[in-house]
Order: sequence, then structure tokens, then C-alpha cells
Amino acid sequence: MIPLYFIFGPVILAAVMMLFMSKESAAAKYMALTLFILMLFVSLDLLSALPETGYLVLRQYLAVERFDFVLSLQVDHLSVVMLILTSVLLILVTLSSWTMKDQKNYFSLLVLFSGPIFGVFMSTNFLWFFIFWELTLVPMYFLVGIWGAEGRIYAAVKFFLYTHVASMLILLAFFLIYTQTGMFDMTLVKEAMLTTPALVWWLLFIGFAVKMPIFPFHTWLPDAHVQAPAPVSALLAGVLLKMGAYAMIRMVVLMLPEQSQNFAWVMLALGLITLFYAGFMALYETHLKKMVAYSSISHMGLVTVAISTLSYSGLSAALFEMIGHALIISPLFLIAGFLHARTGSWQMQDMGGLMQKAPYLSAIFVLAGLAALGLPGTMGFIGELTILISAIDRFGIGLIIVALGSMIGAGYIIWTFRRVVYGEKSKRIEESNFSMNRVEFLALILFAMGIVGFGLFPSLLFDTINTAFSMLLTPGGAL
Amino acid sequence: MISTFSILFAASLLSLLLHRTKMLKIFTLLVLLVGLFLSGTSIGLTGFTSSEAVTLFERIMLIVLLALVLHEEDDTTMTQTLFLATASIALLQSQTVLAFLISFEAVSLISIVLVSHIKTAEQAEGAVKMFIAGAIATGILLLGAAFYLMGGGLLEEDIVSHPTTFSLVGVFIMLFAVFYKLTIVPMHGWAADTYALVRHSHAALLSGVAKTVVAVAAFKFFAPFLAEASEISVPLLVILAVVTMTLGNFMALYQQKLSRILAYSSIAQAGYILLAYAAVKSSLASTGLLYMAIAYVFMQTAVFLVLDTLRQKHDIQTLEGLKGFAKGNPVLAFFFTVQLFSLAGIPLLAGFLGKAVVFYSVVDAGLWYVALIALLNSALSVGYYAWIVKHLYFDKTNKTAVTQKKRTFSNLAQLILLGGTFYFGIFASLVFAVGDHF
Repeated sequence: MIPLYFIFGPVILAAVMMLFMSKESAAAKYMALTLFILMLFVSLDLLSALPETGYLVLRQYLAVERFDFVLSLQVDHLSVVMLILTSVLLILVTLSSWTMKDQKNYFSLLVLFSGPIFGVFMSTNFLWFFIFWELTLVPMYFLVGIWGAEGRIYAAVKFFLYTHVASMLILLAFFLIYTQTGMFDMTLVKEAMLTTPALVWWLLFIGFAVKMPIFPFHTWLPDAHVQAPAPVSALLAGVLLKMGAYAMIRMVVLMLPEQSQNFAWVMLALGLITLFYAGFMALYETHLKKMVAYSSISHMGLVTVAISTLSYSGLSAALFEMIGHALIISPLFLIAGFLHARTGSWQMQDMGGLMQKAPYLSAIFVLAGLAALGLPGTMGFIGELTILISAIDRFGIGLIIVALGSMIGAGYIIWTFRRVVYGEKSKRIEESNFSMNRVEFLALILFAMGIVGFGLFPSLLFDTINTAFSMLLTPGGAL
Repeated sequence: MISTFSILFAASLLSLLLHRTKMLKIFTLLVLLVGLFLSGTSIGLTGFTSSEAVTLFERIMLIVLLALVLHEEDDTTMTQTLFLATASIALLQSQTVLAFLISFEAVSLISIVLVSHIKTAEQAEGAVKMFIAGAIATGILLLGAAFYLMGGGLLEEDIVSHPTTFSLVGVFIMLFAVFYKLTIVPMHGWAADTYALVRHSHAALLSGVAKTVVAVAAFKFFAPFLAEASEISVPLLVILAVVTMTLGNFMALYQQKLSRILAYSSIAQAGYILLAYAAVKSSLASTGLLYMAIAYVFMQTAVFLVLDTLRQKHDIQTLEGLKGFAKGNPVLAFFFTVQLFSLAGIPLLAGFLGKAVVFYSVVDAGLWYVALIALLNSALSVGYYAWIVKHLYFDKTNKTAVTQKKRTFSNLAQLILLGGTFYFGIFASLVFAVGDHF
């Protein structure tokens, strides 16, 4: 019963918070924080309860047999890892939003977001998965549209429309699967399908590629990322994009293995294009947050390359890189947003010499930046290395070009350091005040600890991650 | 014999005596409650039969009308609501050609009387357009019936396809008359103006209640025939549905007046409803239609009642005027937003499940490309629904908030409709249990 509380509970709690709390009530953030910590405990509890392989069946609710419209909750290692990542991110985002204005509404929307996102990772019924998947859009639409920067309205509407269109393709694919198998259960569909039409694969692939995002379906993301308030950008990168990658692994690679084999080259090609295209765009940007946004897309290209290997090692590497990406990109967004709030500018040339004025902040920025370019000792290195190895393993030595992608990363990150952190002290930096709220700074520290901690001890994560794909090792496994 | 129909009919006549007595509202509410209590009872005349699906829809309709009467303050409208409920029940239960013709005309006539409650020149324009369209529809329906009878059909029997060209043509002509009421393109011209120009609570009755009643009743009446004549009916209905939803959505995108946006959105929704007719060969088509109709009657009535409050109490009619409205009136803005999202097909709301089942039945009937067009249309419609929400929440207001006196009854009405939208967005079993028993 408990998991169900954590899906619909937040939705009800959010409504109660919106209706009955006063406008600037400080209790809102504590309530949100408590809820997210509870969610983390529940996820950890689920992790310990998981069987070696396969699904832990939680419960089924609201069954309508006629249309297989059953809220069946099941988790395996993959989904529990995502649940833990999500709840950690939600906690850190709450801490980073400690001084956000209009607290009641902001935090109730965060709470409203947390329920459906749990539903996405727990539900194994296509229809309910889709319901939760779509429902995450609504709080995001308001979070971007109300708390965002100058161009927030355009970004929010574009985000909503763009991802909604993609969702329609996903829904159609689910319907096509249902006409063939008569079920919406994603755990059983693979065996039930005699043939998988290429159409289903393409619909699902494009639908999820928009969320990840993969070139050429990425154009909503730079807008949404840049205009969203910094903590929400972190949430977008850390949770929403991961939702896309999770679905891509679960519903494209693992559920439609034959077609995925056929079209692996599509994924590989688009992944590589995303990696390089976004990398070059980041190199070109002078807008700090846009640079981070493109860097984020570039990393998702890397994840796509890893997914396209369709192998045990590749998928594990992809999952590791997804977690790494969440922990690395989020602090970059937070710092970029903070700098904009204090200096009033997005342009890098206005921010030179940050190190002299705010050394601690700069240190975290540098650390996260170095992790993004894959410095050994950080999560970024482990992720990129394992992806490189598994890609070469699968596609041959030509895939050494993935390393080139990292080199572009080094290019834009180090050049950003030159322009923002070091360099001449600019007038704006001189005039601005960089004292930061302690709680918000704590969040940054926690991010930094995660980056280094899992970079030095990757096995902490890999032990769990590997189990998620262990079925691929047995003959007759998923692939 | 005491049935919902007889009670409602007696009450509609009686209600004429209660005008200007302040008792009318309570009386109407009581009658609707009694009707709700008795629902499921058959009219008891030959040619009319009830079924489980129809009973469920009657209940939903009475609940929605209850909400509407709670909101309404005008005596004439309340009487007309009772009359409309009476005729709707007859139409929903009609089985034979004769019964269908008569009750269809009754609904049509009452709709025209309803909008004839004219106070401004604008309302007159809307009413006259509706009257002309209604008259044409009547003529066409009778023409179709004449053809049908000439081809060997019988008035006292269900509609069946006789192997003569005359009867086939006749039924299709009758179908086109029904499409006038369903606002299917190209029979939609009157609807955009009428819905936008007449009083919004009347538009709620017309576009919310009357339209869905006609949709459900016509499905019950025509579905066996459509399934039989599927070689002709499916392509025809698919084309009409696709054109209707696309045109409705694109026109809605360009409007500035709220009522016009929602009028065109109502036309687009009619396109989705028509898809269920096109997918008649699928076993889920009837469930889809019923679900869509139930979802639609809640959300469409709710948005037009919100518009009514906006126009009467806040003097807001355009998107421009709506800017920043949520700041001063969070509750009404919330009701409006939820129902708009439901119309857009956002999950956990009835609108999503209604569309999902209809679109699935289209895929099931082997028309996946049509479903794709419909899905993309539905995504396109988010453009204007989200645009209204953007004006509500994201924009800065350009006028000082005026505190209005609380409208408890109106809020209660919205709460009932909101409850329906949420309930049927989460719990689908009620509809699926009866969906096959049309």
C-alpha cells in the first residue's frame, strides 16, 4: 500500500498546501523536504526488498480488465535506481530553492511533481505509465512559466507543446502494441508479441528521444533549461531527461530487442551527432546557462551512444552516466542561475574573476566543470570511460571518436573557466554581492561530495546498476 | 407510470407556474434529484427502450444539469433545462425510427426556444443563426426519413439497412441532419457564432448537454447500420472527423475572444466524438463514445459556466482581459484550468481517458493513421488551452482586482463538475462495465 501513498499522496498534499497555507509560509519547504526524505527512505527500502533478478510485484489497483487499465506497480533494480536518484535530486533541489519567492506555490508544485514521477518509475502498465509521464508536464509548465526568466512564457509553452506531441506518438505505439497482444503490461509484452512492427519501434524511439533529448528533437530543451529557474533546470536535467533515458532503455532496448538490433545504427548515429553537435554549440555559446544546457545535451548524446550498444556493459555504463550527469550538470545550472541572479547578466564576459570574489563557489563550479569533461577521480571520468570501452567493444575501434567528444567538452569547459572563474575581474563581479544562503550552499556541497565520492568508489553504484541488467548475461536473456 | 421521463415532463410544465417565486430553483433541483433517483426507469411508450449505457449517461446528464441549475439564476433557463432533460431522456431511449424522429425534433425545438431568450442584438444574431440551421436540419432529417421509408423502411422498427439504394441514401441524409447538431464540418457554420454569442449558460446547455445527448442517442440508433454499411460509412466518417477536428483546432488558435476559442474547441471535440462512429467495427467503439461523451459533458459545461461567471461578474470576455486573473481569483482560475487541461487531454482527468479509449478503438478498427492525425490534433489543441492558462497565471494583471461577492452556488456547481472530471479520469470501471450494453 505504501508505494501508492507516495504516488497519489503528493498530489493530494500539493492540493492541500495550495489551498490552506498562507502565501509566504515557511512550513511549505519543510513539508516538501520531509516528504522527499521519506520518499528516499521508501526507495531504499524497496532496494533492500528487491529479488536478485526480475520484478518485485507491489500491488495492483483500479483494475479494469476490459481495457487492461490496471495500475500495477512493480519495480526492478533499474526502476529503484531511478527512484533513489529522483528522491535525492528532489531533496537537493528543495535545499537549493530555500530562498525562492512565493514559497507556498513553488513547493506545492514540486510536491505535485514528485508523485507522478514516482508513478512513472513504478508503473508497469503502459496506460498508467503514460498518465504519470504526461502528468509531470503540468507542474513543470507552471514552474517554468511562473518562476522563469525573461523568455519564460515562450519556453514554457514550447516545452509543453513539444513534449506533448512526442507523448502522442508514444501513446499510439502503446495502442498498436495492445491491438497485437491485448495487454498493456510492459513486463509481459515482449513474450506476447510475435512480430514487432518497425513502426512501433520508431514511434517509441522518437517519442522518448524528444525527452532525452536526442538531435534533432532537442530544440525545446535549450529554451526550457535557460528560462527555468536554476533549481528547476537542475530538476529538468536530473529527473525529466532521465525519465526519457529510462523509458528508452526499458521500452525500446529491453522490450523490442529485435528491432533495436536492426536500428542500433540509428541510435548510434544520432547519439554521436548529438554528442558533437551539442558540444560545438556549447563551444560557441557566450551565454553561460545555454553553454551548460548544451553541455547537458552533449552528455545525453553520450548516454545514447551507450544505449545503442545494447550490451550489458553499455547499458550499465549508460545508467552510471545518467546518474553522473544528474549530479554534475545540476550544480552547474545552480551556479549559473545564482550568478545571473547576482550579476544580472548571462554573458560570460561579464563574470570574469569570480574566483577572487567568491572562492568557494568557484571551487565547486570548477569541480563540477572538471567532472563534466571527465577528469579522473570524478563521476564523469568513470561514466565516459566505461561508455568508450563498451562502444569500442561493440562497434569497433572507430568509436574512439567518442573520446573526441570528451575533448570538445574539455574545450568548452576550460574556456569557460578562463572566462568566468579566472581572468580579469569584471565590473559586475566587483559590484555584486555573492553571499549565499547556507542551505543552498549545503546543497552544492552535497552535489560535490557525490561527484567525488562516486568517482572514487564507483563500485558503490555499479553493484546495484549491474544487477539491473544481469538478465542480459544469461543466454536467452533480453537481447 | 412513474418514471424519470414522466416526472421531468410534469415538472417542466409545473415549473411555469413557479416563475418569479424564488421557489423555482429549489423545485428544479429537487425534481432533478428525484429524476436521478428514478433513473433507469423506461419511458414506457412503444418505440423507446432503455439500456445500461443509456441509464449511466442519463444519470451523468442529470448530475450535470443539477450543477447547471445550481449555477443558474434565470427562471426561464431553469424551465428550459427541465424541458431539455425530458426530451433528452426520450431521445436517449428512442429505438424506432419514429421515436427517434420525434424526440430529435423535440430536443431541437427546445434548443431553439432556449436561445430565443434574447436580450441583446448579439444574442439575437446567435439565436437566428441557430434557428435557421435547426430548421434546415429538420428539413433534411425529414427528407432522409422520406427516402428511407420509400426504400422499404418502416417507422415502427429499428433502423436496418434494406438493400435498396433509396434506404441507404435516406439513412445517410438523416445522419447529415444529426451532424448539424453535432457541429460536424461542413455543418458547423452556425455553431461557432451561436455558442459564442448567446448567453454562456445557454451555450453550456447546447454545446455541453444537448450535443452529447445527440451523440450518444445517434450512436445507439445508427451504429448497427453504420457497421453494416462500413464500406461507405467508414471512409466518409473518417474524412468528416479529420476535417472537423483539424478545422476546429486551427480556427481556435486564431481567436481572441474566449467564447470563440471554446466554441471552436467544441467543434474540434465533435471531431473526436465522430471518430467513435468511424471506428464502429471495433468492440470498444461504443465504450469510447460513451466515455468521451461523459468526459465531454462535464468539462464543456464547466468551461462555459466559468465563462458565464467571467462575463457576468468580472466583465471579462477576451484573452487580454484574463491576464493575471489567477492572482485575485485563485479558485475560479483553478476550476477553469483543470477543465481546460481535461479538454486538452491531460491525464488523470476524464478528457484523457475519453480520448484514449476513442483513439484506441480507431487503432483497433485498423485505422492507425487516422488515430495519429487525431493524436497530433489533440496535441495541437494544447496550444490554445495552455495559452488560456498562460494568460491566467503567467501574465501580470493590468487592472486592480475587484473583490466580488462570493458565489457559493456557482462554486458548488463547479465543484460537482470538477468531481466528475476527476472521478472519470481515475476510475474507469463504471463506464467499461456498461459500455458494451448500448
